[in-house]
Amino acid sequence: MSASGNWRIAPQPGEVIDRSQKVNFTWNGSPASGYAGDTIVSALMASGVRVMSRSFKYHRPRGVITATFFDPNCSFQVGQEPNVRGAHRMVRNGDDVNAQNAWPSLNFDIRAANQVVGRFLGPGFYYKTFIKPQKLWPAYQKVLSTFAPGGAPPAIGTPQEIFDKRFVHPDVLVAGGGPAGMAAAIEAARTGAKVILVEEEYELGGHLRYGGTESLATLAALRAEVASFDNIEVLTDSVVSGRYDDNWVGVVQRSGIWAKERMIKARVGTLVVAAGLIERPYVFEGNDLPGVMLATAALRLIGLHAVKPGTSAVVFTANSTGDEAIERLRAAGVSIARVLDARKGENVTRALGRGQVSGVEAGDGSKTSADLLITATGWTAPTSLLNMAGDRPVWNAAGARFTPSELFHSSVMAAGGIVGDGTTAELIAHGRAVGIEAASRARGEAAKPVAALIPDAHPALFQSTTVGFLDLSEDVKNKDIVSAAKEGYDSSELAKRFTTSAMGPSQGKLEMVNTMAVLAEATGRDFQSTGTTVWRPPYAPISLGALAGRVFEPDRVSPMQLWHEAHGAKDMVAAQWIRPEHYGNPQAEALNVRSNVGIIDLTPLGKLDLHGPDIVKLLNLAYTNTWDNLAVGSVRYGVMCAEDGVVMDDGVTGRLGDDHYLMTTTSSGAGNVWDWLEMWLQTVHREWQVTITPVTTALVSINVAGPNSRELLSRITDIDLDPAVFGYMKVRQGTVAGVADCIVWRIGFTGELSYEIHVPASYGLHVWETLLEVGKDLGVAPFGIEAQRILRLEKGHFIVGQDTDGLTQAYEAGLGGLVKLAKEDFSGKPELVWQEALAGNYSHLVAVETVDPLLVPAEASQIVENGNEIVGRITSSRMSPTLKRSVCLAHVPASLSTPGSRLTIVLENGDRAAAIVREDLAFVDPEGVRLRG
Amino acid sequence: MALGNASTSRTPTASVGGARKGSRPARYSAFDIFRRGVTHADWPRSFNEHELKKSYDVVIIGAGVHGLACAYYLAKNHGITNVAVIEKAYMGGGGSGRNTAIIRSNYLTPEGVRFYDRSVKLYEDLAVDLNYNVMFSQRGHLTLAHNDASLRTMHWRAEVNKLQGINSSVIDAKEVGKIVPYLDVTDHARYPILGALYHPPGGIIRHDAVNWGYARAAGHLGVEIHQQTEVLGIETAGGKVTGVRTSRGNISAPIVVNCTAGWASTICDMVDVKMPLVTHPLQAAVTEPVKVFLPAVIVSGSLHVYVSQTDRGELVFGASVDPYPSYSLRGSLEFTEGLATHILELIPSIGSLKLLRQWAGLCDMTPDYSPIMGITPVEGFLVDVGWGTYGFKAGPVSGEQMAQLVATGRTPELIAAFDLARFADGRLVGEKGAASVGH
Repeated sequence: MSASGNWRIAPQPGEVIDRSQKVNFTWNGSPASGYAGDTIVSALMASGVRVMSRSFKYHRPRGVITATFFDPNCSFQVGQEPNVRGAHRMVRNGDDVNAQNAWPSLNFDIRAANQVVGRFLGPGFYYKTFIKPQKLWPAYQKVLSTFAPGGAPPAIGTPQEIFDKRFVHPDVLVAGGGPAGMAAAIEAARTGAKVILVEEEYELGGHLRYGGTESLATLAALRAEVASFDNIEVLTDSVVSGRYDDNWVGVVQRSGIWAKERMIKARVGTLVVAAGLIERPYVFEGNDLPGVMLATAALRLIGLHAVKPGTSAVVFTANSTGDEAIERLRAAGVSIARVLDARKGENVTRALGRGQVSGVEAGDGSKTSADLLITATGWTAPTSLLNMAGDRPVWNAAGARFTPSELFHSSVMAAGGIVGDGTTAELIAHGRAVGIEAASRARGEAAKPVAALIPDAHPALFQSTTVGFLDLSEDVKNKDIVSAAKEGYDSSELAKRFTTSAMGPSQGKLEMVNTMAVLAEATGRDFQSTGTTVWRPPYAPISLGALAGRVFEPDRVSPMQLWHEAHGAKDMVAAQWIRPEHYGNPQAEALNVRSNVGIIDLTPLGKLDLHGPDIVKLLNLAYTNTWDNLAVGSVRYGVMCAEDGVVMDDGVTGRLGDDHYLMTTTSSGAGNVWDWLEMWLQTVHREWQVTITPVTTALVSINVAGPNSRELLSRITDIDLDPAVFGYMKVRQGTVAGVADCIVWRIGFTGELSYEIHVPASYGLHVWETLLEVGKDLGVAPFGIEAQRILRLEKGHFIVGQDTDGLTQAYEAGLGGLVKLAKEDFSGKPELVWQEALAGNYSHLVAVETVDPLLVPAEASQIVENGNEIVGRITSSRMSPTLKRSVCLAHVPASLSTPGSRLTIVLENGDRAAAIVREDLAFVDPEGVRLRG
Repeated sequence: MALGNASTSRTPTASVGGARKGSRPARYSAFDIFRRGVTHADWPRSFNEHELKKSYDVVIIGAGVHGLACAYYLAKNHGITNVAVIEKAYMGGGGSGRNTAIIRSNYLTPEGVRFYDRSVKLYEDLAVDLNYNVMFSQRGHLTLAHNDASLRTMHWRAEVNKLQGINSSVIDAKEVGKIVPYLDVTDHARYPILGALYHPPGGIIRHDAVNWGYARAAGHLGVEIHQQTEVLGIETAGGKVTGVRTSRGNISAPIVVNCTAGWASTICDMVDVKMPLVTHPLQAAVTEPVKVFLPAVIVSGSLHVYVSQTDRGELVFGASVDPYPSYSLRGSLEFTEGLATHILELIPSIGSLKLLRQWAGLCDMTPDYSPIMGITPVEGFLVDVGWGTYGFKAGPVSGEQMAQLVATGRTPELIAAFDLARFADGRLVGEKGAASVGH
């Protein structure tokens, strides 16, 4: 229903609209307009729109009630963006604004039929029906899910907007830019403190903005004073979303020219919460009709946007704000049909009308015609941020509202209306006192109390009849709470969960206290023992975009990646790195390594540079084997186990100097191993002198593998490669391809003679290209990860995480020889001592040959006994180009681990295949002749 | 009911009828809703309050889904109704009301698969069994793989699942995109989706309804649920449990079942039973509602996030447990930031959706990520703890099996592998591979 026409009134002294700038937008597809500075809702109200949405459950028409960000009835779909808070968001040219929850249209909504059957849709009705027949539940459920409230999700392919983050370290951060908050910021700044003042609305002022001439004068003075301090940063249209441990405070800055939203993370000295008060709705029959509005909503519409909210009003007032609204409505040209004063015992019991208020029934039964019903029945202190600092609010019966306790952390203070009532001057004075103390606490001085404001006496008004709406966003009625309590859901948490009251978008800001009041009355308990539920962060909804910020997921590639891609590499993602899987034919690449020479880019290999006199102690603790006697110029392979004895990582560490080692880790374990070593150094052995520098990306690693590798490398290095002086498991430093300070070590993951070269990263490509250039006659070719996996499998070398899992202890991985239990201590030792005592009675990693040599079972194929009993699995499996047959590693139980044991493998298609356990893990060159040559 | 030995027993094929002391519950059906709607008749209380008695046959500590289910099956399957469930706050207020309500059975170990499969079957029939619609929506469960290592783990899980008769298979990125069009399945994503483990019977449930349904049904069979009653100590004599001290008085009982989470080791400490548990917070968050667009449960281990959309339109998110042990139920800002970052990598178009609320629950982690169930060195003191991040999924089967243990005095086969002694004997049941964000 709409009352078309122009509802804009004469210019108001505090209005925020710019009448010289018209804004054109569409409302449900039809052209609409407003002025710059209008919110979506004020523009709609000005052109006579009264129904803003349909409600969630009953699809009842709903209009403006609070005219603030948290107005439960004013969420809109704006273009692709759902749930836009239309009483807060400024309308912009070209906005495509649509009502939510309405189908086929806002004025005629088919699901409004739910109202007719509403008596059957009590709390938890869905728990009580659709139970039988069970088969039909999925169909019911599909229908139910079409009733989900809210807007439509952005369409697939909607581009990501720009969001950003910022980090700040203010001495004092003030949440709330009303009179008390501004005063607190001013006084804190006067002491020299660095202050951030955060205001949810578009400008500072709080309720002074719509409070009349005197308020506006006070506001102008405060704003000028704020502006006079360079050390106050004002953030408007921003909200403090949460307070976390150690005063880590999140602020969401909504509008800005650089980003749609910005998440500001602040480490705050003292957080001052000056959130003011939220006006509380009143519950009575018809209280959700468009035209029922809070006094502050009327004051805002008139004062800020010069919009007349109706023609004829009944005002139900219990306080000075309601009284003020009467004057302001009258001045705006709204006739006051009747005033009902709660302080004189008068009451309102019913709003009359269909789809729009047409009259009001008072407590005495008399009826008055009106299109507006304004209520001013009390306040709720939004103690959310204080709760997050430990506060448990207490019920102040005289003031009929919760007030903060003294329980919260001393790095957080409350100022102004959230604490208690006072004149504007008193609120400002309180703010000033809190500001001085906040700055003092931020300087580290002992906390001193600040005299609190006391709430004024106020009638306790929550509900007049039991058939009104308690939670407008969830369509929960007060009688639903009563039913819930009768059914046994009678604690605040159970009642809330059962009815979903206070679970909707406003998260209890409007409905929590009324819910408690209704529950207290239904259960005969007092308010305090009924309790309050914990306000959980965030204080206001935050977009996922703002939380994520700029998507910062850098691609990790080696300096040779462009070369790889230019030479036909097929990329794969492995351990966060993008790297070549192969260059077209992995089988040929592997064969070339066996017969000629290949080079592979192993830059992702984790590399840690270790310096210090106590490295050996660290290595002995982290690795299972012994490191006391590693000579300068030698490298050693080691395995790390977690404290449960489970294999965690492996790699080669070389001794480059007396107190200088280079450790390599697996690519995926690079970060974890660094963390792990630092953990030992920083928490257990702080006396050890070891410095760890991660150099993974500082060094390019190239492995040169194959029978021709020595010849190839000798052509470009000054290092003496004579096997008599540079044998297997040795390390040398020298010049390679003209690049000084390269580290070269002889190891052999592939099973071939091979040299691993670690080159300063910026020269990596040069060395890579030089190797290929000078080795053409030797048959040199690059090989990728896939060929390396084939080669290592042929050699029977395991991969941590593939041939081991989250439970594989060292002995089960066949690493018993590397576990030196005689060492005094090392990570995992107690578990491994115990495993060793099992004398082989655990699962084993074995090499397996399928009976059909051409059958390559998929990795993860299960090994079974007695039908479907799982006893093991294939961990690695490939066709070997060298042997022209499949080669596999597998985990098998002790009973099946002896060479010659026959295994049954379940293939992907369900067929069974036979396989035999081999004598040796290595399929190729078990004696290691090629490797050590 | 001698509970000192560790022999095993099979699940009884038929439920044993027992003395039913409780009143008959009000029937829930469309017809009854209609009738009461017309007559404006109130629904009777679902949960009754009781004075604490001096003694019970069985005391269950913790009125979460495990404790309530155990009480229900004790009464229903075994006729044991002189049972008190003691809860320090309100029922379903711990992990049972804080989880993300995902149900599945695609685990990694054969023991885990069998056990959770039984749980899924009980969940499938639970609404009818309890006459309470728990709104189990078997919408399908996708565990995404973004690299070849996780794809390999998915294959492993699928193979184990298939051999156990579980509907579970690995599908490619294209099929993933067909099931959930909103997911970015292109190969230019930073961590492209290579495929997924698809588990059609997995889904989500209304966790509160499960808790309340069990409580209501158990209460009507005669079980007493005592909320706002804190256990202060457990009495023993000669190595046997004799009773429980509570904030509302002392109770004598020969059998005490610890069904708590978060405080499981604290309770076990009362009888000097040491538990290999480390407690970590697990955080979750929910967005404002939007119209339903996510038809399946999405899990990404590599991106440490899982998400589903409720019938109310909210997206429910979770991630891995916090990296440090803590009892804090306060959420962190960093958690929501990480969550949002990863969600937008999976579903890039929903940056404007707004996070509404975050919370945390407590998870007792065991060394092998499997629970600890059964007898302890103290006779009559039983545990059903150490559920890590899996507790809610296992509620019904745990309750059923623990009830059978209490009633028969013998450890049922289905939970024999999860005994406390396994840590001393080296029989770990490794579920870590299915656990790192395996929800």
